[in-house]
Formats: sequence, C-alpha cells, structure tokens
Amino acid sequence: MRIRAHPIIDFKKRAELPFYFQKKKLVGEDGDTIASALHATGVRTLTTSLKYESPRGFFCGIGKCSSCLMRVNGVPNVRTCIAPLKEGILVEMQEKLAELPDAEFFGEPKKTIDVDVLIVGAGPAGLCAAIESATQGASVLIVDENQCVGGQLVKQTHKFFGSKQEHAGTRGIDIAKELENDLRRLECEGKIQVMTDATVIGCYENDKKHRFGVVERHEYKSRLYDVRCDAVILACGAMENMLLFPGNDLPGVYGAGAVQTLMNVYGVKPGERVLMVGAGNVGLIVSYQLLQAGIAVDRVVEAAPFIGGYNVHAAKLRRCGVLIQTSHSIKEVCGEKKVEGAVVVRLDENWKPIKDSEEYIKCDTICLAVGLTPSTRLLSQIGVNLEFIPEAGGYVAPHDGAMQTSVKGVYVAGDASGIEEASTAMIEGKIAGLASAILLGRSKNKKLLAQYREELAQLRAGPFGEKPRIAKEKIAKLAEAHHA
Amino acid sequence: MKSKADVVIIGGGVNGCSLAYRLAKKGLDVVVVEKKYLSSGATGACGAGIRQQWSTRENTQLAIQSVKIFEQLSSELGQDIEFRQGGYLIAVHDEKEMKQSEKNVAMQRSLGLKVDILKPEEITGVVPILDVKGMRAIGATFCPTDGHANPFRTTFAYADAARKHGAEINTHTTVIDVKTAKKAIHAVVTDQGTIQTNVVVNVAGIDSKTIAEMVKVKLPLTPFRKEILATERLQPLFEAMVISFKDGIYFSQQKEGQIVGGIPIPEEKGGYKTMPTLAFLSHMAQTLTRYAPVLKHVNVLRHWTGFYDMTPDARPILGEVKGVKGFIQCSGFSGHGFMISPMVSFLLTELIAEQKTSEVLESLSLERFKGKNIEKELSVVG
Ligand SMILES: Cc1cc2nc3c(=O)[nH]c(=O)nc-3n(C[C@H](O)[C@H](O)[C@H](O)COP(=O)(O)OP(=O)(O)OC[C@H]3O[C@@H](n4cnc5c(N)ncnc54)[C@H](O)[C@@H]3O)c2cc1C
Ligand SMILES: Cc1cc2nc3c(=O)[nH]c(=O)nc-3n(C[C@H](O)[C@H](O)[C@H](O)COP(=O)(O)OP(=O)(O)OC[C@H]3O[C@@H](n4cnc5c(N)ncnc54)[C@H](O)[C@@H]3O)c2cc1C
Ligand code: FES
Repeated sequence: MRIRAHPIIDFKKRAELPFYFQKKKLVGEDGDTIASALHATGVRTLTTSLKYESPRGFFCGIGKCSSCLMRVNGVPNVRTCIAPLKEGILVEMQEKLAELPDAEFFGEPKKTIDVDVLIVGAGPAGLCAAIESATQGASVLIVDENQCVGGQLVKQTHKFFGSKQEHAGTRGIDIAKELENDLRRLECEGKIQVMTDATVIGCYENDKKHRFGVVERHEYKSRLYDVRCDAVILACGAMENMLLFPGNDLPGVYGAGAVQTLMNVYGVKPGERVLMVGAGNVGLIVSYQLLQAGIAVDRVVEAAPFIGGYNVHAAKLRRCGVLIQTSHSIKEVCGEKKVEGAVVVRLDENWKPIKDSEEYIKCDTICLAVGLTPSTRLLSQIGVNLEFIPEAGGYVAPHDGAMQTSVKGVYVAGDASGIEEASTAMIEGKIAGLASAILLGRSKNKKLLAQYREELAQLRAGPFGEKPRIAKEKIAKLAEAHHA
Repeated sequence: MKSKADVVIIGGGVNGCSLAYRLAKKGLDVVVVEKKYLSSGATGACGAGIRQQWSTRENTQLAIQSVKIFEQLSSELGQDIEFRQGGYLIAVHDEKEMKQSEKNVAMQRSLGLKVDILKPEEITGVVPILDVKGMRAIGATFCPTDGHANPFRTTFAYADAARKHGAEINTHTTVIDVKTAKKAIHAVVTDQGTIQTNVVVNVAGIDSKTIAEMVKVKLPLTPFRKEILATERLQPLFEAMVISFKDGIYFSQQKEGQIVGGIPIPEEKGGYKTMPTLAFLSHMAQTLTRYAPVLKHVNVLRHWTGFYDMTPDARPILGEVKGVKGFIQCSGFSGHGFMISPMVSFLLTELIAEQKTSEVLESLSLERFKGKNIEKELSVVG
C-alpha cells in the first residue's frame, strides 16, 4: 500500500524498520508513525471500542480523537497516529480497557522555563507568530504535539492562492519548509526554543505571569515543564467534524486530514477506492490528491445544492472524470469489520433523503471533508470569553485587531481563532507575534502591524472570503462590546 | 416559574435535589432554584466516596444510616446511581494514629459497623497495587460496606423523582435576595421572578454564606479550593477507596476504569480560588506513585477544582436558624456532603414536613458555635 510514483512528492524507499505487531514481524520505513506503518502493511483495525467491541481504525490522524490507542512496548493507550515508529518495538492491540503498563518508567525531573512568549501549535499560524515575535526581540518557546513542525501544511501538495507575500503559487509543503528554515535559523541564534512531540496540557495558577504545563515525550520518556510567560499565542488549529450515519466508526472511515496525512506525509495509500463526502475546498483538493497518488475516487457527494469550494478545483476533478453530486449525501456504510461499500442518497430542498434514490457504491474508504471546529479547549480553560459563531466553525474567542482575547496577554491565531485557511492563518500569526512583542515592550513597530492588518483585509476581500469576513466582523463586534 | 410555593430550595446539588425529592414525596409544593445546571457546584466536582469510618459519633451514625438508604436508592428512584461497595481502606502510619484508629473503630463497632484493623501484610490482600513500604503504613482499617456512587447520576435521579412528585426545578435561575417580614421568611427573589414562600432551604454550597447574609445571618464558612484528577481508563485493578489522613490523599478506581483522587497541596490557604495548580499535579503524582508505583506510566486525563465549604469543626450546619423563622440551613459539609446526603434530606424533611426535630439536628445547629465545647471531626481527607 506504499505510493512509489507521485507527480509532486519523491517517495523514495526509506530505511527499513522492522517491528512487531501482535508478535508478528512487520517492516515499516524510517519516518513512519506506528499507524502509518501498520496501514502500509494492510492493517487498518487498530483497536476495538470499549462499549460494543466494534473494530476501530484511526480517524483524525493528527492525535486528536483517540481512536488509535494501542499498547507499545508495554505502555498502554499510545496514540499510534502520531507516535513515531522505532526499530524493534512491540505493538499490541488492547483488549478493551488497557492493562497496566509493564514497561520501565523513565520520568525526568520537572524543569522550569521562563520566556516572553509561549506559542502553542507549530502550524502556519504558530510558526509565523514565533518567527515574527522572535525577530522583534522577544524570547519565544514554541510547542507542538507532532514529531515535525508545519501543522496541516506538511501535507498540502497543491499550490496556494492569495497574495505574493503569503507565498501564492507555492505548494504548502514548500511553505512549511521555508518557515521551518526560518525557525531553525532563529533557534540556532538562541532566539527560539522549539519543542516537538510535546503537549501543552493546561494553564495553571500563578501570580503575575501566565503559567502552563507542558509534557514532552521522547523515546517513551517524558518530562513535565513548568512554563512561565508574559504572553501566550494559541495557534492550536482545529478538529475535523464527524457525520452521523450507520457504520461511521468502521475502519476505513477517515477524516480528510487523516487521508491527506497518510498519503502525502507518509506515502501510504489510505485505500484503493474512495467515496469523498463534502465538496468544499478540502474535499475537492484531497480528491485530486488521491488521484495523483493513484487512488480511485468513486465520486464526491455534497449535501448542499451547490459546490462550496473553488471552481478551479472542481473543474480539475471533472476533467479527470470524477462525478460531483450536489444535493447528495452518505446514508450508511456497508461492511462488517471494515468498509466494503456505501449507500448514497439524494436529498430534497430541505436536505431530507428522497425515497428510492439510494444507490450502492463499492469502495473501501470513506473520506469525510465536512468542516472543522476550532480547538478552543485551552482558551476555555484559561477563562477566555467564548462565543458561538457558526460562520467561524463553532465556539471562538472574540479578539481585537491585534488578535488579543478578553484576557490580557492571551492571543489567538489561525484556525483556533475561527476556521479559515493557511494564508490568513500566517498573517494572523504574524499579527499576534508582533502585537505580543509590542505589548512586552520588545518592539514599537505599530506601522508594520497596520500593514499586516491591511494584508489580511485584502486576502479576505475576494468572493470566497465572504464567510470568514462575516465571522471576523461578528468577532470584532463582540470584542468591542466586551471592551465597552 | 411558580410564584408561590411551600418550600423554596436554593441550590441544585445532591443535597438540594434529594431534599426536593423527599419533600415533594410528602406532598409539599417544592420549587428548586439553581443558578447554573444541576450538580454544577461541589457535587459535580467531588470524589463521591461514601465512608462510615468517622471519629465523631454523629457523623458515623449519619453515614451508617445513609449507606442503608444508598443500598436501595437505585430501586427507590428507578435509575441506576452506580452505587458500589468496595470498602474504604484507611492507611495508618504511626503509633499515635493507630491509637486514634483503635478508638474510632471501637466507637464504630459499638454502632454495629463491621470494621477490621489490618496488619501491614494484609493491606495488599485488599488493594493489590499498593506498596506498603512506599506508603509507610504500619497498618490500616478497612470497612467493606463503604463505597462510592456516581454523583451526577445520583443528583439527576433525585431530580427526576422529585419532578415526578410535582416539584418544579428551575436551572439557570439565580437567587438574588431573600425577603423577611417580622423575622420570618416571606419571599425569594430570583433573576427570573419572585416566589412567595414561608420556608427557604439554604443548600447553596459555598455560596450559602452569601444567601445567609441576605437574611442577616453570618455563617462561619471558609471556602477551600480542592483539586482532583482522573487518569486514563485501565482494566479493573481494585475496588476500595484508599485514603490517608496524614498524607491527605484519597483515590479509587471508578466503574469505567479511571482512577480518581485528590490531595491537598501543602501550602494551600482558604479563599475563592478556582484555577488548578501545577503544585497539585506534582504532589498528587508523586504521592500516588509512592502508594502504587505501578501507576507510573498512567496518564492524567483531567484535573479540576471544586470547593469544600469548611466549618470550624468540619461538621455541617443544619436546621432552622434561630431568629429567622422558616430559614433552614443545609451547608458547611466540609468535604463529605455527598455521603451523608440521604440522611440529611431525611432529617430535614422530618423537620420541615412534620416539625420533628432530632438530637443530631440539635447538635449540628448554627447555635453550637456559641458554645465552648465543640467537638471537631478529625477524620477529614483531601
Ligand atoms: C485536509 C485539509 C486541507 C486543507 N487545504 C487547504 C488549502 O488548500 N489551502 C489553504 O489555504 N488552507 C487549507 N486548509 C486549511 C489550513 O490548513 C488551515 O487553515 C491551517 O493549517 C491552519 O493553520 P493553524 O496554524 O491555525 O493550524 P494547524 O496547521 O492545524 O496547526 C496547529 C498545530 O497545533 C498543534 N497543537 C494543538 N494543540 C496543541 C497543544 N495543546 N500542545 C501542543 N501542540 C498543539 C497541532 O498538533 C498542530 O500541529 C486545509 C485544511 C485541511 C484539514
Ligand atoms: C474535590 C472534592 C472532592 C469531594 N469528595 C467527596 C467525597 O468523596 N465524598 C463526599 O461525601 N463528599 C465529597 N466532597 C464534598 C461534596 O462534594 C459536597 O459536600 C456536596 O456535593 C455538597 O452538595 P450540596 O448539594 O450541598 O452543594 P453543591 O453541590 O455545592 O450545590 C450548591 C448549588 O447551589 C447553587 N447556587 C449557589 N448560589 C446560588 C444562587 N444564588 N442561586 C441559585 N443557586 C445557587 C450552585 O450553583 C450549586 O449547584 C468533595 C468535594 C470536592 C470539592
Ligand atoms: S488520535 Fe490517532 S487517529 Fe485520532
């Protein structure tokens, strides 16, 4: 199930890493996660559900849904979709609830870190925030749960739209590389500390500074950091939405982000024949990328009567012969232990299924591209004011033009501040990074701040910027009301 | 919302809801007013352990009788409250503690409770994952009929049963004033309207101090932030709640598999603080893994805070307050208000519906703080 020939990415064979699954020897490749290595050998069922004992595969692929928990080297409940594959490890399925760990524990003593700015998340928003803030003279710590930095960018093989400043015409994966180079340069200069494979677990009581707990995992060792900072930028991204239909938990029903991660980051085919649910930009782009990876896309179904994504993307798909059915949705998934097919159904003007319009299609993978919800758990724990704004994807923190929330020194940027796209996430990151440096007296460059805000407004000026524009206007109004 | 009621209950925690159920069952017209949602106060934050091993006679009695009620509560209310009797294992660390334990056990046995004093080597027979050396125990006491229930399910089951008997429960409704006339309760003012009534029960947890001030009554209550955590879920390992008065730790494994427990942080002082602390996380992790080293690899999933409403003698303030006719006190539970809630509502129902008072109620009145010889409850954890 490895992709070897690809028009954009060079998936050369990497060094082989033998490991054990249920006592059987399998071989993965250097750079794999445990789940991607298993998937490449055809293992899609990773665990069973606690209540009904139904088989479970992974869903989000980015460490956010816990449907991929396995026992690794005696340690239970490891999120195998983000845990790196290591040579010789023992991977086991858990019998319902986890047994006690039988591995030796390598805890390290707690460490304290004092910085000006803590940045949670190293996606486009977090990376830009870190680079901007450090360039302006603030000391920065950036933390991300994944092995590598880049967030969702590392899987986006298509060229970006938007303005020149925001890398229009460049592929997401290349933007990620550029940003990482800048980050590593600042790291070498001692201006930024980078922590990967580490999670910001919560905000804790402190007198003057903000205080966060961070758990860093390395080679199954872990260390707790007590991080004190004057400002924090929450660029934690978003979570993929789920749809309700019978069989939605079968191995083979994946989020679009997971599908993209598997094929574009690890070079593993998610399946042979895919039904795409959702014709927004994500659904369209990922469908095209599936074709590029040599995977068949049966069709794209979209519940709305129109295609939500850009026409160029839809046209590209159509040219490749992929059917896009609007006013259609998935009714159920067929299969006992894995996806074997699906039933799609036509919807009337009230989005209700039309009788006898069901059609069975054969496929082994369902890809859900039905929107994202901002990750606001840390914000809510800090006590930041949150409001429900449907256009922004759910609960979001009202913030001012400098991306500051209702709590002083707490900033948001990117999808966590309302679902949008990578280009706007990058500018929002720069604004938050610069504004925090100004707040701490490390910079006085208010002119640059105004320039960034102008760039952001321009990016949203087009017809497709309408939804985020409405969302951000609502957010600004709420923030003003809160201030008054 | 009704504009008139026999009784208005302020607070929708376990005590407010169980009282609403019992009073409504007696045929009284009851209205509950809760400012957020049911169990949003201490009830929803608590460990929900049920223990009969106390140092004072009243608490032991209240707890024993409460367990009798808990044992048949699921069938009485028609909903499973997940009551389980896995016992409480109380670690004893030195000779002084052993003396006190022997005294407690003698008193508890005189009330008919089955309690054992365990030798160190018997401890792992009850809770296999414990490291007796690590916990520095010279023994333990164990009562097999102590246990645990689900605080949410218990509260919701009481509330549903209360509604079936005609009680009105208003959530997201805040009491802003309590009116008196001629030194007697007259009405309760909420942000959703006023309710005429002659009886008000103050079951507002830590906010009961503010409610009392509305009728010019001063309660000797201090809020203490208490932190508690839950780990990831594991296969069943043990059934008992493990506690230590000396270390302040308590923990048990829930039905779903997670280990839930807490400990006070060493330098904690009282006050309305709500943020969790890193100090708790470290202290709890260190102590818990000293007691049960096999838990070292287990992840903490959640950590939250709640309040103990502490009184000077760590015992609740119950009953009608002298000088304000119809103002019934029901707070100050000092960290153990879940386990005695069945008896608390039973006694207060007798008082409100039948004007019957009891020795226990007398001894737990607000008046007791005027006397000199108050007996302090010693067996407090967390
Ligand atoms: C499938 C898909 C296709 C897309 N296609 C496009 C496209 O073509 N063009 C476009 O412009 N946009 C696209 N987007 C949207 C774009 O990727 C996002 O808007 C952008 O990545 C948001 O950036 P971000 O930095 O806010 O979040 P992310 O890129 O999601 O980064 C957030 C990071 O924070 C980390 N994190 C979160 N919480 C914690 C914590 N507590 N501790 C440590 N780390 C944490 C996460 O692991 C993650 O790495 C797509 C999105 C998806 C899912
Ligand atoms: C961490 C922790 C662990 C604990 N462990 C245990 C244990 O193991 N065993 C045990 O027995 N006990 C335990 N306790 C104690 C127990 O939780 C409490 O004693 C018990 O839940 C009190 O219930 P209550 O109904 O009296 O009060 P609460 O549950 O606090 O309810 C009071 C209610 O009043 C409402 N209210 C307040 N002001 C107003 C207003 N103005 N208008 C309307 N409504 C208002 C509040 O919103 C709240 O819902 C623990 C407590 C904590 C914090
Ligand atoms: S957490 Fe691993 S698949 Fe979602």
